[in-house]
Amino acid sequence: MKPRLKVLWLQGVTCNGNTHSFLNYPHLLYVLETFEFLYHSLLPSTYTLEEISTCVHECDILIFEGAYDPRMERVGTSLETLVGHYGSHAKYVIAAGSCASFGGMFKHSDPEHITGLGFDEKEPKGPFASSPKLINLSGCPMHPEWMGYTLRMIADNKPIAVDELHRPKELYSYLAHHGCTRNEYFEWKVDSDHFGTKEGCLFYKQGCRGPMTHASCNKILWNDVSSKTRVGTPCFGCTEPDFPRINMFETKTNMSIPQDVPVGISKRSYLTMAGIAKSFHIPRLEKRLIDDDA
Amino acid sequence: MMTRKWIERIEGEASIGFEFEENKVSFASIAFPHFRGMEAILQSKPAMDALVIAPRVCGICGHSHLFAAVRAIESVYANSGFPLEISPKAQILRELTLSLELIQNHFKWLYMVIYPELSHLLQRPIADSCRLKGAYAASLATKVLAIFAGQWPHSSYMIPGGVTCDPTYVDTVRAMGILDELMRWFEKEVTGISMEEYLSISSAKDLSHVSGDMRDIDKMLRTAKMHKQGFSYDRYMVLGNHGFSNPSKYMHRRMAKVNPQLVMLEDPYTVDEKTYAKNALYQNNAFETGPLARAVTNGVPFIKHLHRYFRDSTYTRIMARSYETALLLDHCKTLLQSLRLDEPSFIEPSKKITSLSEEGVGIVEAPRGPLIHKVTLNKGIVDHYTLITPTQWNLSCGSPQTQGPAQKAMIGADSIETATFTFRSFDVCSVCTTH
Repeated sequence: MKPRLKVLWLQGVTCNGNTHSFLNYPHLLYVLETFEFLYHSLLPSTYTLEEISTCVHECDILIFEGAYDPRMERVGTSLETLVGHYGSHAKYVIAAGSCASFGGMFKHSDPEHITGLGFDEKEPKGPFASSPKLINLSGCPMHPEWMGYTLRMIADNKPIAVDELHRPKELYSYLAHHGCTRNEYFEWKVDSDHFGTKEGCLFYKQGCRGPMTHASCNKILWNDVSSKTRVGTPCFGCTEPDFPRINMFETKTNMSIPQDVPVGISKRSYLTMAGIAKSFHIPRLEKRLIDDDA
Repeated sequence: MMTRKWIERIEGEASIGFEFEENKVSFASIAFPHFRGMEAILQSKPAMDALVIAPRVCGICGHSHLFAAVRAIESVYANSGFPLEISPKAQILRELTLSLELIQNHFKWLYMVIYPELSHLLQRPIADSCRLKGAYAASLATKVLAIFAGQWPHSSYMIPGGVTCDPTYVDTVRAMGILDELMRWFEKEVTGISMEEYLSISSAKDLSHVSGDMRDIDKMLRTAKMHKQGFSYDRYMVLGNHGFSNPSKYMHRRMAKVNPQLVMLEDPYTVDEKTYAKNALYQNNAFETGPLARAVTNGVPFIKHLHRYFRDSTYTRIMARSYETALLLDHCKTLLQSLRLDEPSFIEPSKKITSLSEEGVGIVEAPRGPLIHKVTLNKGIVDHYTLITPTQWNLSCGSPQTQGPAQKAMIGADSIETATFTFRSFDVCSVCTTH
């Protein structure tokens, strides 16, 4: 048996949501067979966190969950020391979730001192700013399959191409909009009148960020079964550096035109298309999807 | 002389300072060093954003936080004179997904904390795959949850007026299939007997029929004498109203009504360690919360029997949480069967939230007990937000005269290892405790 790659899963300012998201991963047995966890808060580990905090060990992959506050201590050792030591020896540093990637939710508990590992929102900052080692798996939380993919690619010695925000392109070139079951309503500009229906698009009123959010949530489904938009909840753009935004259940409009339009599409093109689509009256899309009276 | 010990492999970390007299723990002070300031993050945000922010209080019980937040906002509507109508369908879905979150929590606690720690305590190592059992069972529970809530962790599908989803019977049939699979797994791995038989046991004697991991855990707990230690106040508090809970308090062997307004917060007692956890009390008294409290106040025959013989020992506490998993699985099945999908998922509130300036309180039973969210809105914007989590009751840190339930339960333990095992029987979550 070839020696297992050494992984250390450290936590910063966090809710542990990425830990729990990863525990949903269906192939944990593969993970444990291929990697040795020096420490993980719940999976079998070689050392205790107290032993890890002495900084005498080394890991091949550092997984960091939570926002980065250099002054925060874990069992008596500062994150600056822990991340500095383990990160400098590791070949890969994986930021698990949006807090570790960009600061995310917990940047808001102390915006002056807290950042991600390599970004402060979208500005390079932090101990791994511009480091080629850094892989960001943003998302609040990150999807377990995204971590599974990254670990297996590393184990198999395959290159992982990343975007300008250090996110794997194969995961984050898609938009949350891709694969959404409401796509036809988006195409024909039929909005959802109110919550709690399977019909209508959530982009026009309910604040859905699907067309502006790099994430494969509707391609690789959550818990293998669903996604926010499939259950009528708007996408909140949780994989992007500006998460959490304000007024997340509302679409910001100017003269009833959405302020933000799909990524890479000019406002003029969008408005032309939207204007034409909206001018048609399509009875099928205005009715309930399953017509009980027919 | 105080010996400090870091407690890991809980949600986050805690630090406990132990004092010994005649080789037994005579006092233990509990400190939680990590703090995020969730209440401050919620301040000045539009009320609806609380439904996105609140779940992020905790990675393992975020759905409970979502439920408490939505109930708090709905209570603002009610207190403003515009009570919202929630359809039975939306109520059932909310209770179903909450119950599933409790189930995933209990499986992880049993297989990733209690079983390995107990084996460690008795120096009887078990296979690494034991922990994976917990993750597997939990992932089936969250799969059912996600069919309705979109994802777990961190769904925001509950909104004032109902839920965002509009499932079909294709979804409920799928959910039923996965739930059946989880129940079969439970029968095969956890109890070795049918669900029906397990749910009908009423005494310790009946446990002899059990043959799965529960039998092993039961035997090890007795070998470790966990039925003779870990006693606390034998006072219980349940505040969340659900099909599986009965809001009440139990004190001096009697049940009584509770008034959530009498819940109070107090600064913790600290010796030489910084802690961010405030103590939750009821009329100045410490109460234990969680599955044991729910079982005692709900009259669950098997747990009532254990309680009669072993009071609130570590053994009873652990058996109560394990047994609740079965009760909740059964409850989920009933809920799924009673769903009527022709009802509305969401009934639009007649008033815009931006017109409301009022206070509201939302209470649910989270995996570890009552979770309280209090919100004050000013024209729909959060003016003030207070969170009181169940672990603030159980893991509160008082002086030797005013000890919290877990502190008291550790007194008399013959070693730090035994004491910390009892500590873990409360299902420790540092993330929620300090928020």
